[in-house]
Amino acid sequence: MEKKEKKKKSKSKLWMTVAPLYIFTILFVVGPLIYMLNLSFMTRAEVWGVVKKFTFDNYLKIFEPVYLDTFIESLKLSLATTLITLVVGYPFGYFMAKLSAKWKKIMMLLVVVPFWTNALIRMYGWIIIFRSNGLLDKALIGIGMTEKPLKLLYSYPAVLVGMVYSLLPFMILAIYSVAEKMDWSYIEAARDLGASRLQAFLTITVKLTLPGILSGVVLVFIPSMGLFFISDILGGGKIMLVGNLIRDQLFTTRDWPFAAALSVVLMILTSLIIMLYRKITHVRDLEGIL
Amino acid sequence: MKIKKIIAAFLVIVLSTSMMVGCSGEKKKEVNLYTWADYVPADVIEGFEKETGIKVNYSNFETNEEMLAKLENSKGGDYDLVLASDYIIKIAGEEGLLSELDKSKIPNYSNIDSIYQGFFYDSENKYTVPYAPGIPLIVYNPEEVTCEITGYESLWDPSLADSVGIMDTERVINGIALKTLGESFNTEDLDAIQKAGDKLLELAPNIRILSQDQTQDYLVSGEISVAFLFTSQVALALQANPNLKVVYPKEGLGFGVDALFIPSKAPNSENAQAFLNYILKGEVGAKISTQTYYLCPNKASYEFLPEEFQKSLVISAEDIPEGEFIQDVSAEATQLHNKIYTEFKAKLN
Amino acid sequence: MKNKTRLPHLYLALLMIIMYLPIVVVIIYSFNVSKQSTIWGGWTINWYKEVFRDSSLIEALKNSLVLGLLSCSIAGLIGTIGAVGMVKATYKSKGLVEYISTLPIMIPEIILGMVFMVFFSLLRLPFGMITLVIGHASFCIPYVFMMVKARLVGIDKSYIEAAKDLGATEVRAFLDITLPLISPAIVSGMLLAFAMSLDDVVISIFVTGAKTNTLPIKIYTQLKTGITPKINALSTLMLLGTLILVILSNVIGKRKRV
Repeated sequence: MEKKEKKKKSKSKLWMTVAPLYIFTILFVVGPLIYMLNLSFMTRAEVWGVVKKFTFDNYLKIFEPVYLDTFIESLKLSLATTLITLVVGYPFGYFMAKLSAKWKKIMMLLVVVPFWTNALIRMYGWIIIFRSNGLLDKALIGIGMTEKPLKLLYSYPAVLVGMVYSLLPFMILAIYSVAEKMDWSYIEAARDLGASRLQAFLTITVKLTLPGILSGVVLVFIPSMGLFFISDILGGGKIMLVGNLIRDQLFTTRDWPFAAALSVVLMILTSLIIMLYRKITHVRDLEGIL
Repeated sequence: MKIKKIIAAFLVIVLSTSMMVGCSGEKKKEVNLYTWADYVPADVIEGFEKETGIKVNYSNFETNEEMLAKLENSKGGDYDLVLASDYIIKIAGEEGLLSELDKSKIPNYSNIDSIYQGFFYDSENKYTVPYAPGIPLIVYNPEEVTCEITGYESLWDPSLADSVGIMDTERVINGIALKTLGESFNTEDLDAIQKAGDKLLELAPNIRILSQDQTQDYLVSGEISVAFLFTSQVALALQANPNLKVVYPKEGLGFGVDALFIPSKAPNSENAQAFLNYILKGEVGAKISTQTYYLCPNKASYEFLPEEFQKSLVISAEDIPEGEFIQDVSAEATQLHNKIYTEFKAKLN
Repeated sequence: MKNKTRLPHLYLALLMIIMYLPIVVVIIYSFNVSKQSTIWGGWTINWYKEVFRDSSLIEALKNSLVLGLLSCSIAGLIGTIGAVGMVKATYKSKGLVEYISTLPIMIPEIILGMVFMVFFSLLRLPFGMITLVIGHASFCIPYVFMMVKARLVGIDKSYIEAAKDLGATEVRAFLDITLPLISPAIVSGMLLAFAMSLDDVVISIFVTGAKTNTLPIKIYTQLKTGITPKINALSTLMLLGTLILVILSNVIGKRKRV
């Protein structure tokens, strides 16, 4: 075939592959996004709904200390969650990628299947184990390690553990799907050239799995900012995160414009952080995800 | 080519499945009920379906506001019967989403005990049928509590550090603080609300749990020693541990009613009236109350209520006029409420 | 690399045990006599009977399974071919489109749900399975897209070029070379998407119709009256069902090879 014809054909085929994504994105993401942006500049109606009165107030309100603090607290929790998930999940995905073909498939299912159980029920499972006079207490008191029941739940650490637990499979699978295709011969070559295990790991493995780390971080960090039911159930409802705040504003205060403004700021914040992360890790050939 | 066949087959499956589930076919006799899951007991639904041959489509929402958002969106259509809380029914009324009941189609309407009627959300009794009235009360474990508990103020007692559980409902918690200052739940005085917010910050060290679900479970399991519970939770707590003590807060009781209404453009409003008539039957009303553990608003049901049940419901009709509803307040007041609640939660850590 | 220590396997096993701990508790408590989910009262199999008697629960389960399958399939399709196309594309606006297509997971579900509801009304779409699938697909696509993209980057393009030199068309090269190479990412993405769909409450409540109830909606809205061990029983049955499916597909797979 002529080179020019070949190029034309491949270009039209290219359009076919991205077209569904584009159409879907424009219809069901851009559209709603514009609506949300629009909403954030309106004013809460007295009883229900909104009044089309343009205002910046909603954005200004976010700077009040009580609401600003909520953002900061959520950020701290999300960063902590993401870090811990990375530290715990990376080795898991890495080791998983080195298993035999049969075991890889089994592990993938084993990692995801628990998450087909309803999240609420899983949380109750944790509660049954960790609450005062729960299973853990009974075991510890039984072997004489403690006398009074521990008060482990309904605290910040409990929420952190719950978040890590819920988001771990995303990190694991993100790392796994990139580590799995890694060419181990690179490592062997580095070792042959005299690098220690640690050096080989840091310079080669980490670099090669960086795209996976990035998707893992994105898939964990972003949802963690919005999750509210974990802090409600495991935290005893005591921790007000941005997700809770948005929910309260939407349902209890019925201030939809403020909730929309909070969401827009949340979105911008998370985008900035991802962009920053990309810059720091010099991931240039990682096209996409900003 | 094989791949084309696979894509074609895939599209066919996708389209046919979505059409199958979306299409309704000929018009069956049905009624669309919209409320919290399991709030209307299964045996009541089955009984209705058997007696009338009308199928009940039971849809669920989590919060009253979600329900109203959906109802607004459908302009009062899609749903035939909605069971929701008093304050949201008032708002729905102001938005024109309620339809008047045709009492000629609901002969059992007269079974309703009139002390549960004439409230702010339906003062002329044109739109609603009460379903679950209740008064929240303080319940505590006398074995764990050393101080005297007489009202909301007692919750602030320092001996109760990290031992109190309340429902995670903004207006209720702010309301308790308001009551200790002698104010109404529904004051729109911003100064008063702010003072209540300051008072709330002092309560923070005592709160162990702000619960989304069954607060009484935490009391029964020993996680907390004092709880502020809804009527159903009070009954369940006493059932599990009869030694628990109940307190009627001396500063003033709250009151609330969940009620049924028919939206303005309900597609099957005849069937909805039939359903209302069914649940207002004496025996059915008893079945409902013995499973929801709320007060029974149906006069005709009283004879069917088992004796132990009457005992576990510690509230009587005389208490009703004392109770104050938590109602919607001005936009400014509402926003201040959220502000002080957010500050309160921030202090809980 | 000849790693002789058992450390990796120990690590995997330990974490698996921790991950499954609450699941085991859920299964055990499905036999709990007490109506209160977290307080043990004694053994019974009544809740399993209740599950089968509750036709609305079974219907909600069916809806959720269909919804999950449809959404993750659509997400798998659109996300994968989208990712493949994006990697090859070179024009400038593509960065923006990629960013926008991953936005659904950046926006809080509640807002997204409300916005979808208004939007679907504007488009006059019938509320029910159709709107549910669209809503779910939109937050599932980013998962598949990102996983596949991450995997595609760094796949040696020379494989594809070699195939083309040998006479393969674009499509054949994709099917025979690229697809098998990225399949772990596609499968990971789809499995996660299915899990997300099965757990979605907020968006579902806003975009469903009066006649379509889903399992997570039923479970979460039961919080008001209390979640009974019936749900534990249902979850246990679902896990059992998954196990059976996996064993079956393994057996069938083995048969095929012979």
